[in-house]
Amino acid sequence: MTAWTDSAGGRRARAILTSRPFLTLAIVVAVWIAASIASRGFGAYGHLRYLVELGAVIGLVAAGQTFVVIAGGIDLSVAAIVTVSAISLPLLSWQADPTGLASVLAVVALTTAIGVVNGLGVALLRVHPMIMTLAMATFLQGLLIIIAGGSAVTAENPLVHWLGNARPAGIPAGILLWIAVSVLVLTLMHATPFGARIFAMGANPLAASLSGVPIISTTLAVYGISGFTAGLAGVLVLGMNGQGYVGIGDPYLLASIAAVVLGGTSILGGLGTYAGTIPGAILLVTITALITVVNASPGWRSILFGSLILGLLLLSGREQARR
Amino acid sequence: MAPLLAARGVSKAFFGNPVLRDVSIALQPGRVHALLGENGAGKSTLINLLSGALRPDSGTIEVDGRAVARMTPALARQAGIAVVQQELSLTASLSIAENIGIGAYPKRFGLVDYKELAARAKAACKLVGLDEPLSTPVGNLSLGRRQMVEIAKALYRRPRVLILDEPTSSLSATETKILTDLLGRLRGEGVAILYISHRLNEVMALCQHVTVLKDGTCTADRSLEGTDAAGLVRLMVGRDPGDLFPKWQPSGSPGAAISVRGFSAGLMHDVDLDIGTGEVLGIGGLVGQGQEDLLLGLYGAIPARTVSATVNGVSGLPGNVPKANALGLAYVPADRKREGLHLIHPIITNMMLPSLARLPSLKLRSRKAERQKGRDLAAQLSIKGDLQRPAQALSGGNQQKVALAKWMPHDPLVLLLNDPTRGVDVETKREIYLMLRAFAAAGKAVVLLSSDTPELVHLCDRVAVVREGRVVRMIERAALSEEAIVSAAMGAERRKVAA
Repeated sequence: MTAWTDSAGGRRARAILTSRPFLTLAIVVAVWIAASIASRGFGAYGHLRYLVELGAVIGLVAAGQTFVVIAGGIDLSVAAIVTVSAISLPLLSWQADPTGLASVLAVVALTTAIGVVNGLGVALLRVHPMIMTLAMATFLQGLLIIIAGGSAVTAENPLVHWLGNARPAGIPAGILLWIAVSVLVLTLMHATPFGARIFAMGANPLAASLSGVPIISTTLAVYGISGFTAGLAGVLVLGMNGQGYVGIGDPYLLASIAAVVLGGTSILGGLGTYAGTIPGAILLVTITALITVVNASPGWRSILFGSLILGLLLLSGREQARR
Repeated sequence: MAPLLAARGVSKAFFGNPVLRDVSIALQPGRVHALLGENGAGKSTLINLLSGALRPDSGTIEVDGRAVARMTPALARQAGIAVVQQELSLTASLSIAENIGIGAYPKRFGLVDYKELAARAKAACKLVGLDEPLSTPVGNLSLGRRQMVEIAKALYRRPRVLILDEPTSSLSATETKILTDLLGRLRGEGVAILYISHRLNEVMALCQHVTVLKDGTCTADRSLEGTDAAGLVRLMVGRDPGDLFPKWQPSGSPGAAISVRGFSAGLMHDVDLDIGTGEVLGIGGLVGQGQEDLLLGLYGAIPARTVSATVNGVSGLPGNVPKANALGLAYVPADRKREGLHLIHPIITNMMLPSLARLPSLKLRSRKAERQKGRDLAAQLSIKGDLQRPAQALSGGNQQKVALAKWMPHDPLVLLLNDPTRGVDVETKREIYLMLRAFAAAGKAVVLLSSDTPELVHLCDRVAVVREGRVVRMIERAALSEEAIVSAAMGAERRKVAA
């Protein structure tokens, strides 16, 4: 929040320099510099560009997650939604759709609807967000096994292929998509009344509701956005991978929550910004890349990844007690 | 006789800001000692020093006339000092008995002796007139009853010194009476009592000695004999109080802002009520008779039914808060920390929230316009300092002003206020009173729910007294008096009406 609250010139500069988004960005740059010195190939433009491209998938999933967490909830169904998106896209293809745009829109509409159902459970049935979204994830996983039957699917969708492989002006299309979504998300979050309501709802739902914030519709919108961005991430990951399979979204649950928290958003809700989640996502892929560089076995990779996230959160992510 | 507990020339500063300067106080056995002062005068800090929660920068704390080098909460407990805090310290999910005994459970073979606990808790409950079953979770009790549990918890420890920080702010008249009697009895048993309250009438009736703090220094330490309420206020604010309640004239013949027939919501049932434009309608009665449900039901925050209703010319109840806001209703809750404000958010964000709640979702905000509006509101209500600070940095009185200020840009037609002056200092109270009357004079309606009876008498055009979920009496201005309200609230005149 600090970087986005209004204050006079000098104080503003100091607020930005000491803000969590800036701090996370500084860590990313420091790690990049250190790793480039230690390992020659790491700092190459092509490699760093590849890291950011990988970060785009986490960044997209974490965009919706940031909204949900600021609003005081949590979405544990994002990984399953990513998989639903990647698997159902080949199924939702039509002859009369040469660009593939219609099937992408249909898939994203589907995942948005899944998010809205999460929101309905949370807002109307008053199921705890953790239970509601976890149940949704389990439900979707069962459905996927029935539909896909465990085999990988291949998409022959021109738009998805373009998103995963094209480089207009030398920049991967996935990164361009991430930039576009980031601009939209930051505007929505910090420059619209809708964004202000989300912060209010997360900080104190009772006071927000007595101030006239429409709690139910705002909750539906927040989980809907999470479904939407997870769906987009699924499309992107399908394009980058070429194939979709059950479990393709699994890495993005912990990653999305970790990116949000590393970026300084309060897990208790009410405080935070997507401007922190962006470097948080890049930091996560950087760590993954570093672990790959040390050539550890898959088991050790997971252990290292988990420990590093914990360590980073201990360093920077602990929250002050609220009165 | 040596005082049971005393502070001698204590000073305390936080981050270089002196909060107490060279203050002395002596609590004698068998005396009820009043501690008065505006919000921020240093009362809470003095209590914290006496109970060992804080240590003084200079000066000493004495127990039984002997200086204690390092006072701690544990030492204070051993010395028989018990504090009833203003912010309740109870655990909602534990039972009454468990809350009363917490930290001092009787043990048997290393396990909690529930039988002994029940017996001792029951004795403490009896003293304060708590007759609910001891196994009731505290979360199920009203605010007033919880306050009584808090007091029982202090009594359970058989204190020699009892410190009460605004114990009556959430108590009904009956509960206040029980507390008054109890304090008289404890005083007879030689307990030293320190009593903090913003209600001067109570202080005059209950206490024998008074210490007045103003800006961290002691402005009076004397017997209450021969002083009057106005004199005490003068000592607290450092100038002539004038009149706490502003002079006002009824604002002409009122039209109807809200009119309901057969209204039911929560505890309230079958209420007929007309709220006129240009009037301040008081809602009185014992705490927890359903008054709050009346406000919340009208505001659409809880489900409500009516036979017929008209709100600012539109028929039917609003049904939800956004609709109520659109009809010109605004609600200021009693618990400003939990219901009124977003403490972790900047003051200006708090002020802008009702506007942001109503604007089209995707319209771009203008921070510049918001800052300008915030400055105007702050100037209008004399809220000082940087509006970017979080709301929790403000004192209670200023927080209440922000909770009110946030509705002003909407120009509400009806203000629903739930105990707006609770725990607020005299100066801010007066500012709020002036604002309410000015609001009514401009042809708007004010509904003032208050647990402070003098406030109802001096500020309202009419007072609706609520008992057991019904409006049992509507008292017009000419007949308004504290006696009239209290007797209607207690049902004392039921027989007279029947006869």
